[in-house]
Amino acid sequence: MSGHSNWPEWIYIAVVIALMCWVGAEAWNAERLVEHVPEGAEIIKVTGQQWFWTFEHEDGTKEIGELHVEVGKAYKFEIHSKDVNHSFNIHDYVVLMDAIPGRINTVWFAPTDVGTHDIQCREYCGLIHYNMRGTLYVEEPST
Amino acid sequence: MKGIIVLFLALVVLVIVPAVDLAFAAGDEPGEYVDRRVIIWNLFFRLMTVAFVVGAVVSGTIIWQVWRFRESHPKAKPTPYEGTDW
Amino acid sequence: MVVELAKPRPIWQIMFSTHHTDVGLLYLIMSLAFLFMGGALALIIRAELFLPGAQIIGDAMTFNRIFTVHGTTLIFLFILPFASAVGNYYVPIMVRYKDMAYPKLNAIAFWMIPPGGALVWLGFADFTWYATPPYSIISAPGPAADMWIFGLKILGISSVLGAINFVVTILKCKHPDMSIGQVPLLAWSYLTSSLIILVAIPTFAAALLMLLTDRLGVSGFFNPAMGGDPIAYQHLFWFTFHPEVYVLVIPAIGMMYEIIPRFSRKPIYSYNSGIFAFVLLAIVGFSSWAHHMYASGMSFTEKTVFMVGTLAAVPASAMHVYNFIATMWNGRIKFSTPMMWAVGGIALFFSAGAGGVANAAMPLDFSTHDSYWVVGHFHLFVMGTIAFGSIGFLYYMFPYVTGRMYNETMGKVHFVMSFIGTVLVFFTQHILGLYGMPRRVFDYPPIPEWIAMNQIASVGAMIIGVSMVLFLINMIYSSGKGKLADTDDPFGVGGKYYYPFEAKNPHH
Repeated sequence: MSGHSNWPEWIYIAVVIALMCWVGAEAWNAERLVEHVPEGAEIIKVTGQQWFWTFEHEDGTKEIGELHVEVGKAYKFEIHSKDVNHSFNIHDYVVLMDAIPGRINTVWFAPTDVGTHDIQCREYCGLIHYNMRGTLYVEEPST
Repeated sequence: MKGIIVLFLALVVLVIVPAVDLAFAAGDEPGEYVDRRVIIWNLFFRLMTVAFVVGAVVSGTIIWQVWRFRESHPKAKPTPYEGTDW
Repeated sequence: MVVELAKPRPIWQIMFSTHHTDVGLLYLIMSLAFLFMGGALALIIRAELFLPGAQIIGDAMTFNRIFTVHGTTLIFLFILPFASAVGNYYVPIMVRYKDMAYPKLNAIAFWMIPPGGALVWLGFADFTWYATPPYSIISAPGPAADMWIFGLKILGISSVLGAINFVVTILKCKHPDMSIGQVPLLAWSYLTSSLIILVAIPTFAAALLMLLTDRLGVSGFFNPAMGGDPIAYQHLFWFTFHPEVYVLVIPAIGMMYEIIPRFSRKPIYSYNSGIFAFVLLAIVGFSSWAHHMYASGMSFTEKTVFMVGTLAAVPASAMHVYNFIATMWNGRIKFSTPMMWAVGGIALFFSAGAGGVANAAMPLDFSTHDSYWVVGHFHLFVMGTIAFGSIGFLYYMFPYVTGRMYNETMGKVHFVMSFIGTVLVFFTQHILGLYGMPRRVFDYPPIPEWIAMNQIASVGAMIIGVSMVLFLINMIYSSGKGKLADTDDPFGVGGKYYYPFEAKNPHH
């Protein structure tokens, strides 16, 4: 409308675009690092259903509501659901993946310290969604 | 105009195509044994550092101009548009 | 334009009118009624979460129903109809036409909202405002869910009809002397947001029908037990509702474009960059929908594509902020209530946007997805930006609608309390999310940090609640007993900038 020079706006937009490129590149790189499962990761099958978690280890051991893992190993979760959508979440280890009926989603992690952590459901799944919780026990290596 | 198109085409070939290739090829290399907490929270705190710096600049600018250009400021003077139809 | 409260008309004359200001008034009153109803539900939610354990609601199902209806109400029954109210008042005047292009269609679009709202409220469904299958198909109880689906169907049709009306009014009915490049930015915001509605809504309309037939058991589009794919619903839903976010925010930005130059006593810094940013946002808004679904098992490539699409929307939003700051620069700003709301809205717009960028960065989603971070983030948008712009504009148009002035002091107190409350509630919720609290929970374990932050958020919500009561009193009292407004220049800022001023259309 009014005649004015616009160069500060161009610089501003260039800065914004540059920042977004930086954010995108950093996020892309971090995602690449956390997404690829290392070789030899132990598989744990995770089943979500209203309103509890079931875990099955590679050796066939089953656990309900609690999960025992060992320090120093990598674990790959194969997550699926028996009824509605859930979301498997160990917040302390930033592990999060939806459990969706009809498909298997994977996410992996490698526990570093002995301790216990909360497992919870992050996706709304009905009446007792708020209490669909479990416990992760990270233990010393057995051998 | 033609020059700009040629320039953009050259840029696409030289920069964007390899970058996209690289992006799509990710996942072929074997995974490393990394601590996802470290990577994710590191990224988070770096982003937040930048976000808070930019936020301080933006909100600082807004707060300053709200203070400086209020009509009760001693140095406030009428804008050239006052009294006209603009 | 002015509703003659001194010489009241019978209510049915307004109800059966097709005149744009009468329909606008109906939209306005109804959207404000739903604002208070939805807000009351929010206060119940915050009171419940004040401490772990059941507080005032006996069971989780009631709580789930409350947050579902809270979200549905404030999005579909407050923000959208409020935007239509402002559009009805201003768009015909701005394009210098006697009414909306299709007055009867306009009235029909309005009268579809009460039945839609009634279905949502009488059903009181529990499946959250996204009704995600398979929960919504196999698990959500009885008539409530079906009533919600029908209600949303009606509301969707209503907004499509409204959008058609705005597009035709602006493109075809504008004054022949006026080129499209002279249409004010508020009208441009309605043009772009209406075009988004026309492209986006049909997808959700189809998804709703499929959801309904799935619930009836005659199809299995989204039901894995019948070979369907629940993820397909999420794609259809977000293809509509990510652009819908821009449908909500663009008119609010347009309202700020009306308020800020007025009270800065300066024209908009760059009219063209405002239009450019609106159009760009409307186009780029369609490239980012699946960033809501990173955790549903998407491949790395898909996530990368949608992250880039999301980040691409940032420069357009940033252009608006620049435009606002540059408009205020060197102005002589009068901080009447509308201006305070608009400037507060811009400040929070930045924070909401920055949180959005963090959400879009793929790996951070592992931390923030479906946590209270997300709740805080989008509430900063809908409350901090959209509701702030809208409420500011309501104060701005108040003298034109009622012929009287609102109480300025109460308006300012309302703003200050709401601003403090908004910061307390939604910034705290971001941090709460980083501590890992999931959203949509009726109860939470007694973790000290969670309790403390929930309490801060609840106190903030109560502050907003009190300020909204002041707002209600101010609106009701002032519309009947307020000082008579000088309708030529109610805010004493000079200039001839008032579109309503030119259009003292007689009611017909």
